[in-house]
Amino acid sequence: MSMTLTHGAVEALVKGLPVYNPVLQLLNMRKLNSPSGTSRYRLMMSDGQRSFTSFLLDTQLNHLAEENLLVPNCVCKLTKTILETLKDGRRVLVVTGIEILQKAEETGGKIGNPTPYKADDETSQSMDSGTSVSEVSSSAAVPGPSDTNNSTPSPRGYGSGFGATASPMKTSPMMTSPMRASPMKASPMKASPMKTSPMKTSPMKTSPMKTGSVISIAKLNPYQTNWTIKARVTNKSNVRSWSNSKGEGKLFSFEIVDESGEIRLTAFNKEVDRFFTLLEQGKVYYISKATVKIANKQFNRLKNDYEITLHAHSSIVLCDDSQGVPTLHFDFVPIAELENKEKDTILDIIGVCKSAEDVSKITTKTSREVSKRAISLIDTTETVVTVTLWGEEAEKFNCTREPVVAIKGARLSDFGGRSLSTLFSSTVMVNPDIPEAFRLRAWYDQEGYAVESQSLTYTGSASSASRINWKTLSDVKNEQMGQDEKAEYFSCVATVVYTRKENCLYQACPSADCNKKVIEQPDGMYRCDKCNRQFPNFKYRLILSANLADFGDNQWVTCFQETAEVLLGHSADTLGHLRDTDETAFEEVFQKANFTTHIFKNRVKLETYNDESRVKVTVMEIQPLDHREYSRTLLRNIHKLASST
Amino acid sequence: MAGIIDVPKPRINCSMLSQHINRPVCFVGRVEKVHPTGKTFTLLDGEGKVATVELNEPLEEELSGVVEVIGMVSNKGAIMATTYNIMREDKGIPFDLELYNEALKVVHDFPQHYPFEVASSG
Repeated sequence: MSMTLTHGAVEALVKGLPVYNPVLQLLNMRKLNSPSGTSRYRLMMSDGQRSFTSFLLDTQLNHLAEENLLVPNCVCKLTKTILETLKDGRRVLVVTGIEILQKAEETGGKIGNPTPYKADDETSQSMDSGTSVSEVSSSAAVPGPSDTNNSTPSPRGYGSGFGATASPMKTSPMMTSPMRASPMKASPMKASPMKTSPMKTSPMKTSPMKTGSVISIAKLNPYQTNWTIKARVTNKSNVRSWSNSKGEGKLFSFEIVDESGEIRLTAFNKEVDRFFTLLEQGKVYYISKATVKIANKQFNRLKNDYEITLHAHSSIVLCDDSQGVPTLHFDFVPIAELENKEKDTILDIIGVCKSAEDVSKITTKTSREVSKRAISLIDTTETVVTVTLWGEEAEKFNCTREPVVAIKGARLSDFGGRSLSTLFSSTVMVNPDIPEAFRLRAWYDQEGYAVESQSLTYTGSASSASRINWKTLSDVKNEQMGQDEKAEYFSCVATVVYTRKENCLYQACPSADCNKKVIEQPDGMYRCDKCNRQFPNFKYRLILSANLADFGDNQWVTCFQETAEVLLGHSADTLGHLRDTDETAFEEVFQKANFTTHIFKNRVKLETYNDESRVKVTVMEIQPLDHREYSRTLLRNIHKLASST
Repeated sequence: MAGIIDVPKPRINCSMLSQHINRPVCFVGRVEKVHPTGKTFTLLDGEGKVATVELNEPLEEELSGVVEVIGMVSNKGAIMATTYNIMREDKGIPFDLELYNEALKVVHDFPQHYPFEVASSG
């Protein structure tokens, strides 16, 4: 008595359509061997109408096959399957949940007359396209190597087992001619390395691998166990040790790139000792026999669904022929687009370093001392962003000559709006040898250096902020600033040439928000008219009249409490006290302020006092002048003026 | 010695040495090597090129960092120093030699804007 199979389930499953607990019959089962020891069972399932050969039993269910619970002709219910599409388009259904409904003996043979389900035409085409290697091979290999392949029952080359029988369009029952199908995908190198792989002929000759077939990183997947990749190390981390409740260990990771893409590899414990010193950033290696698994996106920000873990059988050999292997794979985000990205995104960035702060040392939460340096990068989007470098990179960074800086794997933060920080795993390249860098250099030298840029990172310091209205003191008079009754703001670089010490201090109301001048009463109390109260005391406040000068002109300005304290370097209270106690020291304060140069942010406005209108300048903010930054700005302006004449 | 003090001494780097032979100059560079005798040492300018400085008397102190040398350029392109002073870098701001070099180039490219002649009439 045959059970009812779920007609149409096979087609639906392969197409990725939802099917609830389909009942299928197992027609055939094949054990695939892999050098690492784990077996994998490949199943041919039928729904009575169609059959499909690319079902893979999840290794956790291997016991079902080994204990003869899964036997050809038994009927089962698939409770959970995962459809995987490999990079070359082939589809695999991984069976992660299965129930045996009827034993093989009870079914009495194959139910129905199922025809093999061929995957889409697209699948077959994608097999032909892809790397040039397989393109060449599909013509060469189809007629030719079938003989050689047929005689080798155990698949050695890449695409063992799975690859060999992967093409449903070629053969239906997989038992009959697995090998004949293989030339489509499997080991084109193996067949005729000299003919089929013009790019890879030399490595094949020199390759110490017996399995010899190099595949591209893009083709790596967990179902292929026998592969070799040839790639360049783009990034190697330091060895990190950990110690937690489960124990301790050490690891290091590195990223590699080839023409097809990039992937991250990690080595633990013993493998760290084996491979850490062997691997060098920038060199090309053959890597084989390692575990490919789904990438842990928490630590891995590469564009690859998979990552590799090295194990005891892994092999890494230095390759002399690095022809065809690209150096570094970047995916730069224009700085202006950083605003649209989410914070904590890991991305690549390139820009010209306009300025850099000096390196500073900070102490981390774990009481470690670490160096850090903030640099500003600008790119053709005319936007600036601040990037923080750490450790040795911060210490040896030199921003003179405004180098092009490319960073791979920086983390975007919302600190100060938008800013970037390098990570343990980031790669920083100064003036890299890539076309993007040359383009940036050319743009910057011709126009970029003069651009009024917008900074995404608000730092508060005048040197990196944008939208500053820079003027010289002669501009104030020449442009008749502030005359229109409306206050105008400007910034300038100027030197203090005079500070008036007379009447710079006044007695103010001691209440928190009131700064009104208090009148001393005959009884010694101080009266504030605004608060309408009397106080036994007062607080000193500053109103400082000063004269600023630059190369072109001078200007009288007024500095109130905060700015006056910055200029004089003392608080109003201290000065008040000094005035009453030590006249000489008091005068010295004003002397010392003379001939100091700062960046002044000022407000200029027409003020009327007793029928007299005068343009008055008040200092809103004083910032220290970074002479180097200022020099660079001046040089830029000179070059700009020189080239425009 | 007196002659060189009152005379304008253009600031130059290594590329300009050949144009100032037998003339007093002011050269700023970073100390590269000091000869064991202490009578000569080499300086690196902002472009990384090397200039040789020769002294009348051997050095009496350790020379390192950025130094400003005033002297005459010899026929062979070395600087016969009359005096030197060491630029202090311990006050927090390091001397940016590359930036200095950029400024030097501007001064030499636009002599019309940087007239350094001393007014002869007092």
